[in-house]
Amino acid sequence: MADRKQPLNELHARTRRHFFAECGVGLGSIALASLLNDEAEAAIDPLVLQDPLAPRRPHFAPKAKRVIFLFMAGGPSQLELFDYKPKLQELSGQVVPSEFTKNKRFAFIKGDAKLLGTTRKFARHGQCGAELSDLLPGLASVADDVCIVRSMVTDVFNHGPAKVFLNTGSSRFGMPSMGAWLTYGIGSESRDLPGFIVLQSGPRGPRGGNPLWGSGFLPTAYQGVPFLSGPEPILNLSNPPGVDRTRQAEFLNTVQQLNSERLAAVGDPEISTRISAYEMAYRMQTSAPELIDLSGESAATLAMYGAEPGKPSFANNCLLARRLVERGVRFVQLYHTDWDHHGNHDTHLGEPLDARCKETDGPAAALIKDLKARGLLDDTLVVWGGEFGRTPMGEPRDLIGRDHHVDGYTMWLAGGGIKGGQSIGATDELGYYVVEDRVHVHDLQATMLHLLGLDHLKLTYRFQGRQFRLTDVGGKVVTKMIA
Amino acid sequence: MPISPRILGLFVSLSLALLRIEIHADEPAVDFDRDVKPILAAHCFDCHGADSQESGLRLDRTDTRALGGNGGAAILPGKSSDSPLLIAIRGGNERVPKMPPDGSTLSAEEINLLVRWIDAGAVAPADAEQLASRQSDHWSFQPLSAVSPPQVSNLEYVRNPIDTFVLARLEAEGLNPSKEADRATLIRRVTLDLTGLPPTVAEVDAYLNDPHEDAYEIVVDRLLASPHYGERWGRQWLDVARYADSNGYTIDGARSIWKYRDWVIEAFNRDLPFDQFTIEQLAGDLLPGATIEQKIATGFHRNTMVNEEGGTDPEQFRVEAVVDRVSTTGAAFMGLTLGCARCHDHKFDPISQREFYQLFAVFNGADEPALPVPTRQQSKELPALEAEIKQSLERLGMVDANLGTRQAEWEAAYAANSEQDRAALSFAPEVTSALAIPAGQRSTEQLELIRGVYQKIDPERIPLAESIESLKRQQEQVKKSITTTLVMRERKEHRETFVHVRGDFLQPGAPVKPGVPAVLPPLTARGTQTDRLDFARWLVDDEHPLTARVTVNRIWQTYFGQGLVATENDFGQQGEAPSHPELLDWLARTFITGGWSQKALHRLIVTSGVYRQSSHARPELAGADPYNKLLARQVRLRLEAEAIRDSALAASGLLSRELGGPGVYPPQPEGIYRFTQQVKFWGTAKDSDRFRRGLYTYLWRSSPYPFLKTFDVPDAVVSCTRRPRSNTPLQALTLANDLAFVEIAQGYASNLLAQPTLGDRARAEQAFRQTLARKPNAHELIRLLEYLESQRAHFVASPEDAAQVAQRDSGAPNAAEVAAWTMVARVLLNLDEFITRE
Repeated sequence: MADRKQPLNELHARTRRHFFAECGVGLGSIALASLLNDEAEAAIDPLVLQDPLAPRRPHFAPKAKRVIFLFMAGGPSQLELFDYKPKLQELSGQVVPSEFTKNKRFAFIKGDAKLLGTTRKFARHGQCGAELSDLLPGLASVADDVCIVRSMVTDVFNHGPAKVFLNTGSSRFGMPSMGAWLTYGIGSESRDLPGFIVLQSGPRGPRGGNPLWGSGFLPTAYQGVPFLSGPEPILNLSNPPGVDRTRQAEFLNTVQQLNSERLAAVGDPEISTRISAYEMAYRMQTSAPELIDLSGESAATLAMYGAEPGKPSFANNCLLARRLVERGVRFVQLYHTDWDHHGNHDTHLGEPLDARCKETDGPAAALIKDLKARGLLDDTLVVWGGEFGRTPMGEPRDLIGRDHHVDGYTMWLAGGGIKGGQSIGATDELGYYVVEDRVHVHDLQATMLHLLGLDHLKLTYRFQGRQFRLTDVGGKVVTKMIA
Repeated sequence: MPISPRILGLFVSLSLALLRIEIHADEPAVDFDRDVKPILAAHCFDCHGADSQESGLRLDRTDTRALGGNGGAAILPGKSSDSPLLIAIRGGNERVPKMPPDGSTLSAEEINLLVRWIDAGAVAPADAEQLASRQSDHWSFQPLSAVSPPQVSNLEYVRNPIDTFVLARLEAEGLNPSKEADRATLIRRVTLDLTGLPPTVAEVDAYLNDPHEDAYEIVVDRLLASPHYGERWGRQWLDVARYADSNGYTIDGARSIWKYRDWVIEAFNRDLPFDQFTIEQLAGDLLPGATIEQKIATGFHRNTMVNEEGGTDPEQFRVEAVVDRVSTTGAAFMGLTLGCARCHDHKFDPISQREFYQLFAVFNGADEPALPVPTRQQSKELPALEAEIKQSLERLGMVDANLGTRQAEWEAAYAANSEQDRAALSFAPEVTSALAIPAGQRSTEQLELIRGVYQKIDPERIPLAESIESLKRQQEQVKKSITTTLVMRERKEHRETFVHVRGDFLQPGAPVKPGVPAVLPPLTARGTQTDRLDFARWLVDDEHPLTARVTVNRIWQTYFGQGLVATENDFGQQGEAPSHPELLDWLARTFITGGWSQKALHRLIVTSGVYRQSSHARPELAGADPYNKLLARQVRLRLEAEAIRDSALAASGLLSRELGGPGVYPPQPEGIYRFTQQVKFWGTAKDSDRFRRGLYTYLWRSSPYPFLKTFDVPDAVVSCTRRPRSNTPLQALTLANDLAFVEIAQGYASNLLAQPTLGDRARAEQAFRQTLARKPNAHELIRLLEYLESQRAHFVASPEDAAQVAQRDSGAPNAAEVAAWTMVARVLLNLDEFITRE
């Protein structure tokens, strides 16, 4: 395959020399907004910086270098999984005391709904004695690596706005997502793949679609790239039918040659960026098929994840996520849908919840173990959670479920500078409100950025008259979470 | 207002003070100036006085004190204990924070005086002077200055007054403008800028060979008269209008509002003056004798999103839509970030939170219906059907009038029938028994029953009734097939508007009336209450300092990559100052005096010397003016998403030039909807709709057409006044491999080969010119020919590859030739120069 790689590399080198030697374009002409407030830190080789995804130094030494976010879309029930409340069991069936629901709005239930205890069994696990339900045997097996946050709070109680809120720090659609902020802040270490990749499993896409991983007002180079399951993970990755590798290489060579001649004629650095973009596109074409081919993984690894090559699943996506971060991708977000357990035939707290947990618990735990075994867990931040939790009150439909709950729910984090083997925060005796170590969504975001070496107050972008940031006007780093 | 237990508790703890009120009720009346004002001045005026009005509350004047703050009245005359002022001073409650916030407290004596003053009616003398309206020194709030073009020395460069402004500045900096671009570049530039399409080779040749002095102006006038002008500039306005064909949020269902899109295109093509363009979009429904087109225009503010998710509060998202209307109006017309004042006073600009809700009130009075827009055919059919139905009903009336006689005859015959024959009619038992009773003795119900039975078998009635049924079905069908479009319609009864405390619609504060920020010129309403029409007319008043400036700046930005004000949607204090303030004002003034004609403004800009400069980089400018603020050269700009696809379609000869109509579904890659909540409808077009211009592509907000999305098409969530121009590997993959784009290359090759007399060299040159307007240089031509040769050799040797690339049967005689030229076309369509306006 020498015929395709060599000329491109040569060409690239020549183009860069050419750019400076003959075009007479000074460094000063390369218009680049300073990404970070500290000018000195941003002053890296401008030619590299022309690539919007080139790696950049963060504000301070990071503990994590990359993120895998396991987004449980729909809002898993913390009361069935993490947050055991004897008092709730005792009062199950009684109308919720009115002081809990005064001035509250719910998506579906009313203020006079009845409390609902759980039927799930809880036990303590690991050295740390984390209390988990029997739905999470996988998580129980890695309890000492995980920090469980039982005091999450969010602002919005409808799926779309709440998902956007957890991803962008604003319930308004159209703001940059955290993956976009992160790659905007520190670029990506992968030269062959996008810096921010989104994977999807479950019966349908997450509510909200594109805006969940959009770049908002940031340049589109930072938007998440959805990976499709199937042989072509990225749109338009394959050569057109009838165009073999040699023909594709010849095609690219001709384009690059003509582009570099134009660069010489007009001296516009954008052409140089485009030449780089075509090179990276070509590398993506070469590397992605190998990347998504899980058949080279050992039988033991496949078994640990429960992954089956060629059969799309959350397990496959977890394994794929490991392969992506191994290749330097900065932010991988996995969506698994259908956690919205309101109580219909297919959304009650019985079998449907069993199924969601079976699909996700083992693979998530396998991901932690696998990252750890490969020495990647130390600087890979893993986050698990949904856009909100579920009410202590039951929601009777065909069967029983729970409504959306924003005032206290659970997420967990591991790796990447997180202090494992601990639980943070607590809700009241009904599991309704947070009473200890409240962690607002903005606090989680601030903490995640902090672990990645970014000050959430400084990672800003000017738009519509003001400096915007991921954490809007809030956010404080939760130091308890950090090792 | 009921007193909460908590406040009652407060009363008890303050019983001593209260007792004193009772006891001293006969004391001399409290005098505001002597007793009250000093207390307020000592404790309150710092934050609620002339210099600062925290929470919108100003206590030093009688008129503003009566108005209260954003949260509502602070003082309720006669009710001291309910007055938030007193609640705050006594320690606050869950709604009212403790005051003063520094921890100091008022003495019991002071509180007592305030209590007595309020309980006695809170009387105070009128203010000596009227409150002056809010002033600002900020440049954009000042009236347009009357400027005349400056004197310059380099006169040969000056083509119109724009140039003197730019040149004067360059001369002051000791810089020279760039020479004029060559003709091929110029015609490609101006054709792309005015129509979003590249010029044809014939158009280029005509211009290259035109000896007239005004050859360029002839081109410009031709382009401004082209219907494609409306498509290109209409699309840009649709960005501002956040136009899309779906509801947004999570469900993102389909909506029908393409009539608005077509209205915009048509408005540009007939050069509807921008002031009228504005009025019709904001308030077309309120114009006297509003036409259906003027109503369609109000779709501008129906491009807000609708949340269809289960369990949402409709009022919450209606409020979001109204907020968006205010923000969009601010960005689109005024260059103001009004949204910043939603939750608190604007931090930088003189816009208070109360004023935000006054603007909110302007847009809060509308209903949001769908308007049926019948075609001419439907407009004729419906009244015709209506008339026919009416006529038939009249005839039916006549037939029914003498139905009694026929019924009696039938009943007689029925009675005469044998029992067996009667049974054969199988009437219901109650009918049979009623028929058995003589007509004169039947009950009313029985009479009606029999009449109903007979109506169904009356031979005179049946054909008439059936024809009426069928006419009604036709009418229903026509009605159903009528396209609807979303519009605004003013309600008969206004909704009350309140300040939303901290931006939360569940916390209504002070009531507000529709109005405009005090820092801008005053608005005169037609009636008792300002409505959208008053507001729209105010916006385009010749004396409004913002609308014309913002509009000319946004148009300028399209031609030079950045506006004279670089922050095109923020003319406030946080925005950038104009690089050429006199030019901006001169353009704005010229725009207004020219009757707000956008075409005239476009013509003025594109015929200027500044616009016609070369865009080549100049090393000496890199240091002196790295961002090209001084405009010593033109800039290379990557084409907008639609223009890239449209240009490829035009160059290849495949473009369908049909204007308007419902959204279309060109081919897109598989798997797009695995990442949306619902699979969207996408009935891929089989005919020329595959090759319509990009702005007609159906736009789902949650999943825009991937080709366009990759090239930065906005997702229409909020108003977009400037698109980013990214440069990414995904763009490279799209141009290289997207099957729809390869299909264009293939069609391109077929069209090239349809001219059989051309040799390779001439054909390659032709293709190059069709793609880039200019002729290839020798070097470029050789590269292309060498490439062609290598591809031809391969495809001749590999007929199966050739068949696939050429999309021909493998036996087709010219498959290898089509395949080789497809590869050449593919190269040309992937060049940076092709997707760039130079």
